[in-house]
Amino acid sequence: MATLLKVANLHKEFTLFIPGAKKIRALENVSFDMEEGEILGLTGKSGAGKSTLMKCIYRTYLPTSGSIRMHLANGGVSNIAHAPEHEVLSIRRTEMHYCSQFLHAIPRVPALEVVSEGLRVRGYSREDASGQAQKCFERLALPEELWNAYPSTFSGGEQQRVNISRAVLSRPRLLLVDEPTASLDLKTKDAVIDILLELKASGTSILLITHDAHTLNRLCDRCLHLENGALRNAVPVRNTEKV
Amino acid sequence: MNHQEDQNWLLRVRGLTKIFGQPCDSSIAQTGPEHATNICPETGAVVAIADIGFDLYPGEVLGIVGESGSGKSTLVQLLHFDQEASGGRVLFQEVDQGRTNILALSNQRKRFIKNHLMGMVYQNPRDGLNFNFTAGGNIAEKLLMAGTFHVGKIRGRAGYLLTQTEVPVLRMDETPASFSGGMQQRVQISKAVANNPPLVFFDEVTSGLDVSVQAKVLDLIRKLQQESGISMIVVSHDLGVIRMLTDRTIVLKHGRMVEHGLTDQILQDPQHAYTQLLVSSLL
Repeated sequence: MATLLKVANLHKEFTLFIPGAKKIRALENVSFDMEEGEILGLTGKSGAGKSTLMKCIYRTYLPTSGSIRMHLANGGVSNIAHAPEHEVLSIRRTEMHYCSQFLHAIPRVPALEVVSEGLRVRGYSREDASGQAQKCFERLALPEELWNAYPSTFSGGEQQRVNISRAVLSRPRLLLVDEPTASLDLKTKDAVIDILLELKASGTSILLITHDAHTLNRLCDRCLHLENGALRNAVPVRNTEKV
Repeated sequence: MNHQEDQNWLLRVRGLTKIFGQPCDSSIAQTGPEHATNICPETGAVVAIADIGFDLYPGEVLGIVGESGSGKSTLVQLLHFDQEASGGRVLFQEVDQGRTNILALSNQRKRFIKNHLMGMVYQNPRDGLNFNFTAGGNIAEKLLMAGTFHVGKIRGRAGYLLTQTEVPVLRMDETPASFSGGMQQRVQISKAVANNPPLVFFDEVTSGLDVSVQAKVLDLIRKLQQESGISMIVVSHDLGVIRMLTDRTIVLKHGRMVEHGLTDQILQDPQHAYTQLLVSSLL
Protein backbone atom coordinates (compact mmCIF):
# COMPACT_ATOMS: atom_id res chain seq x y z
CA MET A 1 0.00 0.00 0.00
CA ALA A 2 1.08 3.55 -0.63
CA THR A 3 2.06 5.91 2.14
CA LEU A 4 -0.45 8.66 2.82
CA LEU A 5 1.17 10.48 5.71
CA LYS A 6 4.77 10.57 6.89
CA VAL A 7 5.36 12.24 10.23
CA ALA A 8 9.04 12.73 11.08
CA ASN A 9 10.74 14.05 14.24
CA LEU A 10 7.74 16.08 15.25
CA HIS A 11 8.19 18.34 18.27
CA LYS A 12 5.60 20.60 19.80
CA GLU A 13 6.27 23.02 22.58
CA PHE A 14 3.79 25.58 23.89
CA THR A 15 5.15 28.87 25.17
CA LEU A 16 2.87 30.58 27.64
CA PHE A 17 3.46 34.30 27.99
CA ILE A 18 2.40 34.52 31.59
CA PRO A 19 4.54 36.24 34.23
CA GLY A 20 7.72 34.17 34.26
CA ALA A 21 7.09 32.72 30.76
CA LYS A 22 6.54 29.00 30.76
CA LYS A 23 7.26 26.31 28.21
CA ILE A 24 5.27 23.10 28.00
CA ARG A 25 6.64 20.21 26.01
CA ALA A 26 3.71 18.35 24.45
CA LEU A 27 5.26 16.17 21.73
CA GLU A 28 8.78 14.84 21.54
CA ASN A 29 10.36 13.40 18.44
CA VAL A 30 7.25 11.69 17.10
CA SER A 31 7.76 9.75 13.85
CA PHE A 32 5.39 7.35 12.11
CA ASP A 33 3.92 6.51 8.72
CA MET A 34 0.31 6.03 7.83
CA GLU A 35 -0.73 3.90 4.87
CA GLU A 36 -3.51 4.69 2.46
CA GLY A 37 -6.79 3.07 3.48
CA GLU A 38 -5.80 2.07 7.00
CA ILE A 39 -7.37 2.93 10.32
CA LEU A 40 -4.66 3.91 12.76
CA GLY A 41 -5.52 4.10 16.44
CA LEU A 42 -3.93 6.58 18.83
CA THR A 43 -3.98 5.66 22.50
CA GLY A 44 -2.49 6.97 25.71
CA LYS A 45 -3.48 8.53 29.02
CA SER A 46 -5.18 11.89 29.19
CA GLY A 47 -2.52 14.52 28.59
CA ALA A 48 -0.23 12.13 26.73
CA GLY A 49 -0.43 14.29 23.59
CA LYS A 50 -2.97 12.43 21.43
CA SER A 51 -5.10 15.45 20.56
CA THR A 52 -2.01 17.64 20.23
CA LEU A 53 -0.61 15.27 17.62
CA MET A 54 -3.91 15.24 15.76
CA LYS A 55 -4.19 19.02 15.86
CA CYS A 56 -0.62 19.36 14.57
CA ILE A 57 -1.57 17.20 11.58
CA TYR A 58 -4.58 19.46 10.93
CA ARG A 59 -2.34 22.53 11.58
CA THR A 60 -4.62 23.87 14.28
CA TYR A 61 -1.39 23.69 16.27
CA LEU A 62 1.78 24.96 14.70
CA PRO A 63 4.51 22.28 15.09
CA THR A 64 7.72 23.57 16.72
CA SER A 65 9.92 21.41 14.49
CA GLY A 66 9.76 18.29 12.36
CA SER A 67 7.69 17.50 9.28
CA ILE A 68 4.26 16.14 8.38
CA ARG A 69 4.29 15.11 4.74
CA MET A 70 0.97 14.27 3.14
CA HIS A 71 0.79 12.61 -0.27
CA LEU A 72 -1.97 14.43 -2.10
CA ALA A 73 -4.53 13.18 -4.59
CA ASN A 74 -2.85 15.15 -7.39
CA GLY A 75 0.41 13.27 -6.82
CA GLY A 76 2.13 16.13 -4.99
CA VAL A 77 3.45 16.14 -1.45
CA SER A 78 2.72 18.87 1.07
CA ASN A 79 4.59 19.41 4.33
CA ILE A 80 1.64 20.49 6.43
CA ALA A 81 3.93 21.56 9.27
CA HIS A 82 5.26 24.47 7.22
CA ALA A 83 3.02 24.81 4.14
CA PRO A 84 1.57 28.26 3.35
CA GLU A 85 -1.84 28.90 4.89
CA HIS A 86 -3.78 28.83 1.62
CA GLU A 87 -2.24 25.46 0.74
CA VAL A 88 -3.38 23.97 4.07
CA LEU A 89 -6.84 25.47 3.53
CA SER A 90 -7.09 23.86 0.13
CA ILE A 91 -6.08 20.45 1.59
CA ARG A 92 -8.70 20.87 4.32
CA ARG A 93 -11.38 21.69 1.77
CA THR A 94 -10.73 18.67 -0.40
CA GLU A 95 -8.76 15.94 1.35
CA MET A 96 -8.61 16.20 5.12
CA HIS A 97 -11.36 16.51 7.68
CA TYR A 98 -11.07 16.93 11.43
CA CYS A 99 -13.90 15.70 13.63
CA SER A 100 -13.35 17.06 17.14
CA GLN A 101 -14.90 15.85 20.38
CA PHE A 102 -17.10 18.89 20.46
CA LEU A 103 -19.29 20.39 17.80
CA HIS A 104 -18.61 24.03 17.02
CA ALA A 105 -22.13 24.80 15.90
CA ILE A 106 -22.76 27.83 13.77
CA PRO A 107 -25.54 29.91 15.33
CA ARG A 108 -28.98 29.68 13.71
CA VAL A 109 -28.12 26.93 11.24
CA PRO A 110 -30.29 23.78 11.51
CA ALA A 111 -28.61 20.37 11.94
CA LEU A 112 -29.61 19.16 8.48
CA GLU A 113 -28.03 22.20 6.89
CA VAL A 114 -24.86 21.96 9.00
CA VAL A 115 -24.33 18.49 7.59
CA SER A 116 -25.49 19.00 3.99
CA GLU A 117 -23.63 22.30 3.53
CA GLY A 118 -20.33 20.56 2.83
CA LEU A 119 -21.95 18.48 0.09
CA ARG A 120 -23.60 21.50 -1.51
CA VAL A 121 -20.30 23.35 -1.65
CA ARG A 122 -18.95 20.37 -3.61
CA GLY A 123 -21.74 20.65 -6.15
CA TYR A 124 -24.51 18.34 -4.92
CA SER A 125 -28.05 19.63 -5.35
CA ARG A 126 -29.98 20.77 -2.27
CA GLU A 127 -32.26 17.70 -2.41
CA ASP A 128 -29.44 15.23 -2.91
CA ALA A 129 -27.31 16.71 -0.12
CA SER A 130 -30.24 16.87 2.25
CA GLY A 131 -31.23 13.28 1.40
CA GLN A 132 -27.76 11.97 2.19
CA ALA A 133 -27.73 13.87 5.48
CA GLN A 134 -31.13 12.47 6.45
CA LYS A 135 -30.00 8.93 5.70
CA CYS A 136 -26.96 9.39 7.90
CA PHE A 137 -29.06 10.83 10.76
CA GLU A 138 -31.44 7.88 10.48
CA ARG A 139 -28.63 5.36 10.75
CA LEU A 140 -27.24 7.14 13.78
CA ALA A 141 -30.73 7.26 15.33
CA LEU A 142 -30.81 11.04 15.66
CA PRO A 143 -34.47 11.82 16.47
CA GLU A 144 -36.25 13.26 13.44
CA GLU A 145 -37.70 16.21 15.35
CA LEU A 146 -34.13 17.48 15.81
CA TRP A 147 -33.22 17.56 12.13
CA ASN A 148 -34.41 21.09 11.63
CA ALA A 149 -33.43 22.34 15.09
CA TYR A 150 -30.26 24.23 16.03
CA PRO A 151 -27.44 21.94 17.24
CA SER A 152 -26.31 24.41 19.91
CA THR A 153 -29.37 23.28 21.89
CA PHE A 154 -28.57 19.54 21.51
CA SER A 155 -27.23 17.13 24.13
CA GLY A 156 -23.59 16.02 23.96
CA GLY A 157 -24.40 12.72 22.25
CA GLU A 158 -26.70 14.37 19.72
CA GLN A 159 -24.06 16.96 18.85
CA GLN A 160 -21.52 14.21 18.43
CA ARG A 161 -23.72 12.45 15.90
CA VAL A 162 -24.17 15.67 13.91
CA ASN A 163 -20.40 16.07 13.96
CA ILE A 164 -19.78 12.51 12.78
CA SER A 165 -22.39 12.81 10.03
CA ARG A 166 -20.68 15.92 8.74
CA ALA A 167 -17.28 14.19 8.80
CA VAL A 168 -18.50 11.04 7.06
CA LEU A 169 -20.40 12.87 4.31
CA SER A 170 -17.39 15.03 3.50
CA ARG A 171 -15.66 11.78 2.39
CA PRO A 172 -12.10 13.00 2.88
CA ARG A 173 -8.97 11.03 1.97
CA LEU A 174 -7.79 11.46 5.54
CA LEU A 175 -10.18 11.68 8.45
CA LEU A 176 -8.96 12.69 11.90
CA VAL A 177 -11.46 11.68 14.60
CA ASP A 178 -11.14 12.47 18.27
CA GLU A 179 -13.24 10.21 20.52
CA PRO A 180 -16.12 9.59 18.10
CA THR A 181 -18.00 7.26 20.42
CA ALA A 182 -17.38 8.83 23.83
CA SER A 183 -20.87 9.96 24.73
CA LEU A 184 -22.89 7.32 22.90
CA ASP A 185 -24.74 4.18 24.02
CA LEU A 186 -23.60 0.76 22.80
CA LYS A 187 -26.02 0.47 19.92
CA THR A 188 -25.26 3.93 18.53
CA LYS A 189 -21.57 3.27 19.09
CA ASP A 190 -21.82 0.26 16.80
CA ALA A 191 -23.70 2.30 14.20
CA VAL A 192 -20.84 4.84 14.22
CA ILE A 193 -18.28 2.04 13.93
CA ASP A 194 -20.15 0.52 10.97
CA ILE A 195 -20.28 3.86 9.19
CA LEU A 196 -16.56 4.45 9.75
CA LEU A 197 -15.79 0.96 8.41
CA GLU A 198 -17.82 1.72 5.28
CA LEU A 199 -15.89 4.95 4.89
CA LYS A 200 -12.66 2.98 5.12
CA ALA A 201 -13.93 0.54 2.50
CA SER A 202 -14.54 3.47 0.16
CA GLY A 203 -10.88 4.47 0.50
CA THR A 204 -10.65 6.89 3.42
CA SER A 205 -7.74 6.58 5.86
CA ILE A 206 -8.67 7.27 9.45
CA LEU A 207 -6.58 8.42 12.40
CA LEU A 208 -8.59 7.69 15.51
CA ILE A 209 -8.26 8.68 19.15
CA THR A 210 -10.28 6.61 21.58
CA HIS A 211 -10.21 5.31 25.13
CA ASP A 212 -12.86 2.74 24.30
CA ALA A 213 -11.45 -0.80 23.87
CA HIS A 214 -14.50 -1.97 21.91
CA THR A 215 -14.19 0.84 19.35
CA LEU A 216 -10.45 0.30 19.12
CA ASN A 217 -10.76 -3.44 18.54
CA ARG A 218 -13.47 -3.22 15.95
CA LEU A 219 -11.89 -0.41 13.95
CA CYS A 220 -8.12 -0.24 14.10
CA ASP A 221 -5.64 -2.02 11.86
CA ARG A 222 -2.74 -0.71 13.90
CA CYS A 223 -2.29 1.29 17.01
CA LEU A 224 0.20 3.90 18.24
CA HIS A 225 0.69 4.50 21.93
CA LEU A 226 1.75 7.88 23.31
CA GLU A 227 3.35 8.41 26.72
CA ASN A 228 4.31 11.89 27.89
CA GLY A 229 4.37 13.15 24.33
CA ALA A 230 6.60 10.38 22.99
CA LEU A 231 5.65 7.37 20.89
CA ARG A 232 6.01 3.89 22.33
CA ASN A 233 6.38 1.02 19.87
CA ALA A 234 3.49 0.54 17.50
CA VAL A 235 1.50 -2.47 18.63
CA PRO A 236 -0.82 -4.70 16.62
CA VAL A 237 -4.39 -4.05 17.62
CA ARG A 238 -4.97 -7.46 19.23
CA ASN A 239 -2.64 -6.56 22.07
CA THR A 240 -4.36 -3.32 22.90
CA GLU A 241 -7.22 -4.79 24.91
CA LYS A 242 -5.14 -4.53 28.06
CA VAL A 243 -3.86 -1.02 27.34
CA MET B 1 2.18 21.44 -4.31
CA ASN B 2 3.72 23.21 -7.26
CA HIS B 3 4.78 26.81 -7.06
CA GLN B 4 2.56 27.96 -9.87
CA GLU B 5 -0.39 27.86 -7.53
CA ASP B 6 1.29 30.48 -5.42
CA GLN B 7 0.71 32.97 -8.23
CA ASN B 8 -3.05 32.52 -8.04
CA TRP B 9 -3.56 35.25 -5.46
CA LEU B 10 -6.37 37.71 -5.93
CA LEU B 11 -4.88 40.55 -3.90
CA ARG B 12 -1.24 41.06 -2.99
CA VAL B 13 -0.35 43.70 -0.41
CA ARG B 14 3.25 44.67 0.33
CA GLY B 15 4.69 47.31 2.68
CA LEU B 16 1.39 49.10 3.10
CA THR B 17 1.88 52.16 5.32
CA LYS B 18 -0.24 55.08 6.46
CA ILE B 19 1.11 57.92 8.56
CA PHE B 20 -1.00 60.84 9.74
CA GLY B 21 0.90 64.10 10.38
CA GLN B 22 4.53 64.96 9.66
CA PRO B 23 6.74 61.87 9.88
CA CYS B 24 10.52 62.02 10.36
CA ASP B 25 13.10 59.47 9.25
CA SER B 26 12.75 57.48 12.44
CA SER B 27 8.95 57.62 12.85
CA ILE B 28 8.52 54.00 11.79
CA ALA B 29 11.55 52.74 13.71
CA GLN B 30 10.36 54.38 16.93
CA THR B 31 6.81 53.09 16.86
CA GLY B 32 5.15 49.68 16.91
CA PRO B 33 4.40 46.99 19.50
CA GLU B 34 7.93 46.94 20.94
CA HIS B 35 7.65 50.66 21.69
CA ALA B 36 4.06 50.24 22.87
CA THR B 37 2.90 53.21 20.83
CA ASN B 38 2.10 54.28 17.30
CA ILE B 39 2.91 57.95 17.93
CA CYS B 40 6.30 59.18 16.80
CA PRO B 41 8.10 60.67 19.86
CA GLU B 42 9.93 63.21 17.66
CA THR B 43 7.15 64.74 15.62
CA GLY B 44 3.92 63.37 17.06
CA ALA B 45 3.00 61.77 13.72
CA VAL B 46 0.63 58.82 14.05
CA VAL B 47 1.84 55.68 12.32
CA ALA B 48 -1.59 54.09 11.77
CA ILE B 49 -0.17 51.08 9.96
CA ALA B 50 3.30 50.26 8.70
CA ASP B 51 4.77 47.59 6.48
CA ILE B 52 1.65 45.41 6.21
CA GLY B 53 1.99 42.54 3.75
CA PHE B 54 -0.22 39.57 2.87
CA ASP B 55 -1.79 37.68 -0.02
CA LEU B 56 -5.49 36.99 -0.35
CA TYR B 57 -6.56 34.03 -2.48
CA PRO B 58 -9.81 33.68 -4.43
CA GLY B 59 -12.73 32.55 -2.29
CA GLU B 60 -10.84 33.13 0.95
CA VAL B 61 -12.11 35.05 3.93
CA LEU B 62 -9.37 36.90 5.77
CA GLY B 63 -9.93 38.25 9.27
CA ILE B 64 -8.20 41.27 10.75
CA VAL B 65 -8.23 41.53 14.54
CA GLY B 66 -6.70 43.87 17.06
CA GLU B 67 -7.75 46.33 19.71
CA SER B 68 -9.21 49.76 18.96
CA GLY B 69 -6.59 51.97 17.36
CA SER B 70 -4.49 49.10 16.07
CA GLY B 71 -5.06 50.12 12.46
CA LYS B 72 -7.70 47.58 11.35
CA SER B 73 -10.09 50.05 9.76
CA THR B 74 -7.28 52.13 8.25
CA LEU B 75 -6.04 49.00 6.50
CA VAL B 76 -9.32 48.28 4.70
CA GLN B 77 -9.96 51.95 4.02
CA LEU B 78 -6.62 52.16 2.21
CA LEU B 79 -7.50 49.10 0.15
CA HIS B 80 -10.90 50.62 -0.68
CA PHE B 81 -9.27 53.99 -1.59
CA ASP B 82 -11.20 55.80 1.16
CA GLN B 83 -7.87 57.13 2.33
CA GLU B 84 -4.59 57.64 0.55
CA ALA B 85 -1.68 55.39 1.56
CA SER B 86 1.69 56.87 2.57
CA GLY B 87 3.51 53.96 0.99
CA GLY B 88 3.33 50.39 -0.21
CA ARG B 89 2.03 48.38 -3.13
CA VAL B 90 -1.31 46.70 -3.74
CA LEU B 91 -1.71 44.37 -6.71
CA PHE B 92 -5.17 43.17 -7.72
CA GLN B 93 -5.50 40.27 -10.15
CA GLU B 94 -8.60 41.84 -11.72
CA VAL B 95 -6.64 44.95 -12.74
CA ASP B 96 -3.99 44.49 -15.47
CA GLN B 97 -3.57 40.83 -14.38
CA GLY B 98 -2.07 42.03 -11.12
CA ARG B 99 0.86 43.85 -12.69
CA THR B 100 -0.07 47.38 -11.61
CA ASN B 101 0.12 48.98 -8.18
CA ILE B 102 -3.50 50.08 -7.87
CA LEU B 103 -2.60 52.68 -5.24
CA ALA B 104 -0.77 54.62 -7.93
CA LEU B 105 -3.63 54.71 -10.43
CA SER B 106 -5.58 57.83 -11.40
CA ASN B 107 -8.62 58.74 -9.33
CA GLN B 108 -10.81 57.85 -12.28
CA ARG B 109 -9.47 54.31 -12.47
CA LYS B 110 -9.64 53.95 -8.69
CA ARG B 111 -13.31 54.94 -8.84
CA PHE B 112 -13.90 52.36 -11.56
CA ILE B 113 -12.25 49.62 -9.48
CA LYS B 114 -14.21 50.65 -6.39
CA ASN B 115 -17.54 50.64 -8.25
CA HIS B 116 -17.04 47.53 -10.35
CA LEU B 117 -14.70 45.24 -8.48
CA MET B 118 -15.12 46.00 -4.78
CA GLY B 119 -17.79 46.30 -2.14
CA MET B 120 -17.58 47.84 1.32
CA VAL B 121 -19.78 47.43 4.36
CA TYR B 122 -19.11 49.98 7.10
CA GLN B 123 -19.77 49.71 10.80
CA ASN B 124 -22.14 52.65 10.58
CA PRO B 125 -24.81 52.19 7.89
CA ARG B 126 -24.79 55.99 7.40
CA ASP B 127 -21.30 55.69 5.90
CA GLY B 128 -22.36 53.15 3.31
CA LEU B 129 -25.96 54.16 2.57
CA ASN B 130 -27.48 57.39 1.35
CA PHE B 131 -30.31 58.09 3.77
CA ASN B 132 -32.00 60.42 1.28
CA PHE B 133 -32.51 57.50 -1.10
CA THR B 134 -34.85 54.56 -0.64
CA ALA B 135 -33.47 51.09 0.21
CA GLY B 136 -34.00 50.04 -3.41
CA GLY B 137 -32.48 53.32 -4.60
CA ASN B 138 -29.33 52.65 -2.63
CA ILE B 139 -28.89 49.28 -4.30
CA ALA B 140 -29.70 50.86 -7.66
CA GLU B 141 -26.99 53.46 -7.06
CA LYS B 142 -24.31 50.76 -6.83
CA LEU B 143 -25.69 48.93 -9.89
CA LEU B 144 -25.82 52.16 -11.93
CA MET B 145 -22.24 52.99 -11.03
CA ALA B 146 -21.23 49.49 -12.10
CA GLY B 147 -22.89 50.00 -15.47
CA THR B 148 -26.37 48.45 -15.24
CA PHE B 149 -28.94 50.93 -16.60
CA HIS B 150 -32.03 48.81 -17.27
CA VAL B 151 -34.63 49.89 -14.69
CA GLY B 152 -36.47 46.56 -14.72
CA LYS B 153 -33.24 44.66 -14.20
CA ILE B 154 -32.21 46.98 -11.39
CA ARG B 155 -35.51 46.64 -9.54
CA GLY B 156 -35.44 42.89 -10.06
CA ARG B 157 -31.93 42.58 -8.62
CA ALA B 158 -32.76 44.90 -5.71
CA GLY B 159 -35.87 42.85 -4.92
CA TYR B 160 -33.90 39.62 -5.09
CA LEU B 161 -31.14 40.93 -2.79
CA LEU B 162 -33.60 42.31 -0.25
CA THR B 163 -35.40 38.96 -0.19
CA GLN B 164 -32.09 37.16 0.28
CA THR B 165 -31.24 39.45 3.16
CA GLU B 166 -34.73 39.10 4.66
CA VAL B 167 -35.66 42.75 4.27
CA PRO B 168 -39.38 42.89 3.34
CA VAL B 169 -39.53 43.80 -0.36
CA LEU B 170 -42.66 45.83 0.43
CA ARG B 171 -40.39 48.29 2.19
CA MET B 172 -38.02 48.65 -0.77
CA ASP B 173 -39.31 52.17 -1.47
CA GLU B 174 -38.80 53.46 2.06
CA THR B 175 -35.64 55.23 3.14
CA PRO B 176 -33.31 53.26 5.44
CA ALA B 177 -33.84 55.92 8.12
CA SER B 178 -37.09 54.18 9.07
CA PHE B 179 -35.37 50.76 9.39
CA SER B 180 -33.92 49.09 12.47
CA GLY B 181 -30.12 48.88 12.81
CA GLY B 182 -30.01 45.25 11.73
CA MET B 183 -32.15 45.95 8.66
CA GLN B 184 -30.02 48.94 7.69
CA GLN B 185 -26.97 46.73 7.92
CA ARG B 186 -28.59 44.11 5.68
CA VAL B 187 -29.50 46.78 3.11
CA GLN B 188 -25.89 47.93 3.22
CA ILE B 189 -24.69 44.36 2.60
CA SER B 190 -27.14 44.02 -0.31
CA LYS B 191 -25.72 47.20 -1.79
CA ALA B 192 -22.11 46.08 -1.35
CA VAL B 193 -22.65 42.77 -3.16
CA ALA B 194 -25.23 44.04 -5.68
CA ASN B 195 -23.00 43.74 -8.76
CA ASN B 196 -21.21 40.54 -7.57
CA PRO B 197 -17.81 42.12 -6.98
CA PRO B 198 -14.91 39.68 -6.49
CA LEU B 199 -13.77 41.41 -3.29
CA VAL B 200 -15.84 42.76 -0.39
CA PHE B 201 -14.65 44.46 2.82
CA PHE B 202 -16.58 44.27 6.08
CA ASP B 203 -15.63 46.72 8.82
CA GLU B 204 -17.06 45.81 12.24
CA VAL B 205 -20.44 45.11 10.68
CA THR B 206 -22.04 43.50 13.72
CA SER B 207 -20.85 45.88 16.42
CA GLY B 208 -23.80 47.46 18.13
CA LEU B 209 -26.31 44.81 17.06
CA ASP B 210 -27.93 42.50 19.59
CA VAL B 211 -26.91 38.83 19.45
CA SER B 212 -29.88 37.45 17.51
CA VAL B 213 -29.62 40.16 14.84
CA GLN B 214 -25.87 39.68 14.85
CA ALA B 215 -26.32 35.94 14.17
CA LYS B 216 -28.68 36.79 11.31
CA VAL B 217 -26.20 39.19 9.69
CA LEU B 218 -23.30 36.76 10.11
CA ASP B 219 -25.36 33.93 8.66
CA LEU B 220 -26.19 36.14 5.69
CA ILE B 221 -22.54 36.98 5.04
CA ARG B 222 -21.59 33.30 5.30
CA LYS B 223 -24.32 32.27 2.84
CA LEU B 224 -23.37 34.96 0.33
CA GLN B 225 -19.77 33.83 0.55
CA GLN B 226 -20.63 30.16 0.03
CA GLU B 227 -23.00 30.80 -2.83
CA SER B 228 -20.89 33.19 -4.86
CA GLY B 229 -17.36 32.44 -3.61
CA ILE B 230 -16.58 36.14 -3.04
CA SER B 231 -13.26 36.88 -1.36
CA MET B 232 -13.71 38.86 1.81
CA ILE B 233 -11.68 40.85 4.30
CA VAL B 234 -13.46 41.01 7.63
CA VAL B 235 -12.37 43.51 10.28
CA SER B 236 -13.56 42.80 13.80
CA HIS B 237 -12.45 43.08 17.38
CA ASP B 238 -14.89 40.25 18.16
CA LEU B 239 -13.07 36.91 18.04
CA GLY B 240 -16.41 35.08 17.82
CA VAL B 241 -17.15 36.82 14.53
CA ILE B 242 -13.64 36.03 13.30
CA ARG B 243 -13.99 32.36 14.27
CA MET B 244 -17.31 32.04 12.50
CA LEU B 245 -16.52 33.84 9.28
CA THR B 246 -12.85 33.63 8.45
CA ASP B 247 -10.34 31.06 7.17
CA ARG B 248 -7.19 33.03 7.96
CA THR B 249 -6.45 35.83 10.38
CA ILE B 250 -4.00 38.70 10.76
CA VAL B 251 -3.41 40.20 14.22
CA LEU B 252 -2.55 43.90 14.38
CA LYS B 253 -1.06 45.80 17.28
CA HIS B 254 0.04 49.45 17.17
CA GLY B 255 -0.21 49.34 13.40
CA ARG B 256 1.98 46.30 12.85
CA MET B 257 1.22 42.72 11.96
CA VAL B 258 2.26 40.73 15.03
CA GLU B 259 0.93 37.38 13.86
CA HIS B 260 -0.84 35.67 10.98
CA GLY B 261 -2.14 32.15 10.57
CA LEU B 262 -5.11 29.89 10.03
CA THR B 263 -7.96 31.21 12.15
CA ASP B 264 -8.27 28.07 14.28
CA GLN B 265 -4.51 28.13 14.84
CA ILE B 266 -4.56 31.79 15.89
CA LEU B 267 -7.38 31.04 18.35
CA GLN B 268 -6.07 27.74 19.74
CA ASP B 269 -2.31 28.05 19.44
CA PRO B 270 -1.47 31.77 19.38
CA GLN B 271 2.28 32.33 19.04
CA HIS B 272 2.55 35.98 20.04
CA ALA B 273 2.17 37.25 23.60
CA TYR B 274 -0.39 39.82 22.52
CA THR B 275 -2.52 37.27 20.65
CA GLN B 276 -2.47 35.00 23.71
CA LEU B 277 -3.70 37.89 25.82
CA LEU B 278 -6.41 38.66 23.25
CA VAL B 279 -7.58 35.04 23.03
CA SER B 280 -7.55 34.56 26.79
CA SER B 281 -9.76 37.63 27.11
CA LEU B 282 -12.47 35.88 25.08
CA LEU B 283 -15.66 35.41 27.07
